[in-house]
Amino acid sequence: MTSLSDIPVIQTPPEAPARGGNPLANVFDDFIRYCRSRSLFMLHYCTGCGAIELPPAMTSRFDMERIGIQPMVTPRQADILLVTGYVSVKTLKRIILTYEQMASPKYVIGICSCTVNGGMYWQSYATAKKLNDYLPVDLYIAGCMPRPEAVIEGLKALRDNIEAGTSDNWKDYYQRYDHYLGNQQRLFGADWQTPTEVIAEAKHYGLFGPDTLGEHTRRLEDHRKPLEPLRMTLNAGRLEHME
Amino acid sequence: MTTDIGQWLGHLIGQVEGVQHRGRHARRQRLDVAPDALPALLELLQGKGSFVHLSAISCVDWPEDGQFELVYHVWSYELKTLVSAHIRIPREPGRYLSVYDIYKPAAFFERDIHEMYGVFFEGSPSMEKFILTEWDGPPPMRKEFDSENWVNDHFDWQDYHPDWLNDIESRGGGIAIRPDEQRFSRKAKHES
Amino acid sequence: MRAENYQSRAQPPSHEYELNFGPNHPGIEGNYALKVRLHGDTVIDAKADGGYLHRGFEKLMEQRLWIQNIALVPRICVPDPAPMELAYSMAVETLCGLEVPARAQWLRVLQMELSRVAAHLFTFGGHAATTGMYSTMFWGVADRDLILDLFEELTGGRVYHIYNLPGGVRRDVPDGFLDRVSATLDYLESRLADYDNLFFTNQVFITRARGIGPMSQQQALELGVTGPNLRATGLAFDVRRDDPYLVYDQIEFDIPTETAGDAWARTLVRRAELKESIRILRQVVARLPGIPGPIRAPIPNPLAWNVPAGEYYSRVESSKGELAWYVVSTGGAKPWRTHIRGPSAMHAVQVLETLVQGCRLEDVAQIMFSLDACPPEVDR
Repeated sequence: MTSLSDIPVIQTPPEAPARGGNPLANVFDDFIRYCRSRSLFMLHYCTGCGAIELPPAMTSRFDMERIGIQPMVTPRQADILLVTGYVSVKTLKRIILTYEQMASPKYVIGICSCTVNGGMYWQSYATAKKLNDYLPVDLYIAGCMPRPEAVIEGLKALRDNIEAGTSDNWKDYYQRYDHYLGNQQRLFGADWQTPTEVIAEAKHYGLFGPDTLGEHTRRLEDHRKPLEPLRMTLNAGRLEHME
Repeated sequence: MTTDIGQWLGHLIGQVEGVQHRGRHARRQRLDVAPDALPALLELLQGKGSFVHLSAISCVDWPEDGQFELVYHVWSYELKTLVSAHIRIPREPGRYLSVYDIYKPAAFFERDIHEMYGVFFEGSPSMEKFILTEWDGPPPMRKEFDSENWVNDHFDWQDYHPDWLNDIESRGGGIAIRPDEQRFSRKAKHES
Repeated sequence: MRAENYQSRAQPPSHEYELNFGPNHPGIEGNYALKVRLHGDTVIDAKADGGYLHRGFEKLMEQRLWIQNIALVPRICVPDPAPMELAYSMAVETLCGLEVPARAQWLRVLQMELSRVAAHLFTFGGHAATTGMYSTMFWGVADRDLILDLFEELTGGRVYHIYNLPGGVRRDVPDGFLDRVSATLDYLESRLADYDNLFFTNQVFITRARGIGPMSQQQALELGVTGPNLRATGLAFDVRRDDPYLVYDQIEFDIPTETAGDAWARTLVRRAELKESIRILRQVVARLPGIPGPIRAPIPNPLAWNVPAGEYYSRVESSKGELAWYVVSTGGAKPWRTHIRGPSAMHAVQVLETLVQGCRLEDVAQIMFSLDACPPEVDR
């Protein structure tokens, strides 16, 4: 399917509208991008072993906060989804749910070799091998595991990309939703669906493109179920007394 | 010390039929037990022998014999000895009795063996899945399950043709063995 | 507003509800989930949900050579990877009848105890953070980094060392390394008073931890609890002493115990263990220069290494409890079966489910961290 080089990096240095060649025409866009790149909240979701190098990176010794990056506990307020290490299929479902709940613009960083190509666990039946099949990855930090310096270096690269306006892969998720959904369905089964209306969001952001819909999104309609309240049964029906 | 425990253990297990005793390593005793005799033996070990700690239950698959081997490792805090009781049960239908009423930690191990090997334990408090809740393939730890084939069927591999590598290759360098050639199974699959 | 709008007939009463605690939750240790049923803010039932970190290690190891697996095993438990390598190496050595040279054994003790100190510092940090004391977390993680630096110098890896091989260790200590170990130990010991002031004798922490998640000794034995959690109930059991391996029988150390069995006692046991580990490390530093010899027993060509048929159950004391490997060989180049018994498999499932019954919601994280359960080890 895709390789990294196939993901179109959407270049949006917004074309300067011809306003008589005014050099200040883009000053607000630049300013917004600058501000955005200086205050990044990183979702605190420890998905794999790479998470063990994040506490050192966050705390006194390496101190990520000095480049404006802080952990955030809820996906809705977070900008960066940090996938730290191998993702088992069970976790991958949660990661996709989490990713879709995050507000745009959002960025995905894959840390550790396992997110790139499966790493040590390439033979394992339980872990996903290539994260960019399922989510638009902005940046990979390779290593098993990358040192805190490497993590910080990667985050700085992301910051610079955001400032330069070259880190826009989240748009790719809307523009080619069918492709990502197809890969997800291949792994999770044809009835896979998430509670987020990605297609409606794509229209909302003005990113609805020819590849947003396709054969895989049509399957969503076939399997659409009304959302039901979460039902949990605890040990051997002890709580069945409720009326 | 070991021989004393060996003798003592031999005396103790004389009360249960179908038990063979071997001790090869220090503080490790191996018992080969008939499947029917195991619950009685464990009860005896726990009650009279102070083997109160169930360290683990291991399952070993022997497809050529058509059997599963279940190994119950119990430890005595007083005698400082680990006894491993081995039983063999037929692979089909793969059912055995739970020892949860003797050792509570058995619940976790039996549940684990159930999802990894498909052995059903009668009387275990919960046989529902724990780790593989979202897995619908065969029990993965059985020998006939080939995880490499499964991986090749379900996942794609990253392709490696970055621009910087082209530069290096044009100057005569490059990767000596490409990652896709290292995966013997894939190579064989492509050739066949 | 009609009454039925408050309480639907099909739904449970509104004061009783279910909560998914994790996997993405700051109060859970790692990628793990607990489903709890609450009455108000009292937990009335809980169910652990694992498998988020499942990689199928036991299957992977059956497909790789004996020596390749050494690179795989430390990844099972991320905060405390060293005992994994050791236990696996010990199992292979016993199957092959390899005699490990004395110097290698002392070097292994050095690695084990440094790893234990690092793991305990990390646990204190996480545990303090559950009570809102982030300074302890910052200190604990920063001080742990000093040990990771030592590991980096000794083994080349900060977190995963892959330092043990069946038959010995990979490298000898570099020049001046033992002095740096001593200096780090001096520093850590001098920090203990600060940690006491900040965390262990802090009234905030004591109030939060005392009486939380209590466990009697009988209950602990029934549930298969091991390690510091068992010692916090008064039973002085330690694999290092009772099923000795390496050269622990030549080293002086005490087994600290507490009797209360609650979160507070478990933390105190770990704190005392930190001191004991420092004491062991000082003995290693003093005696290692006087122990000559090779650091590795000769092994056959590792790429064509057929380990003799047999089975062995090797046990070590990791920072979390009794860690064991059951290794079966049929005389082939790859293991026939490896089974890992991690201490957290007990602590994070049955024990945690039992202990959170009746506690308040905010104490669930407290109990989980005080048990020091390690999810990757549960899921394997």
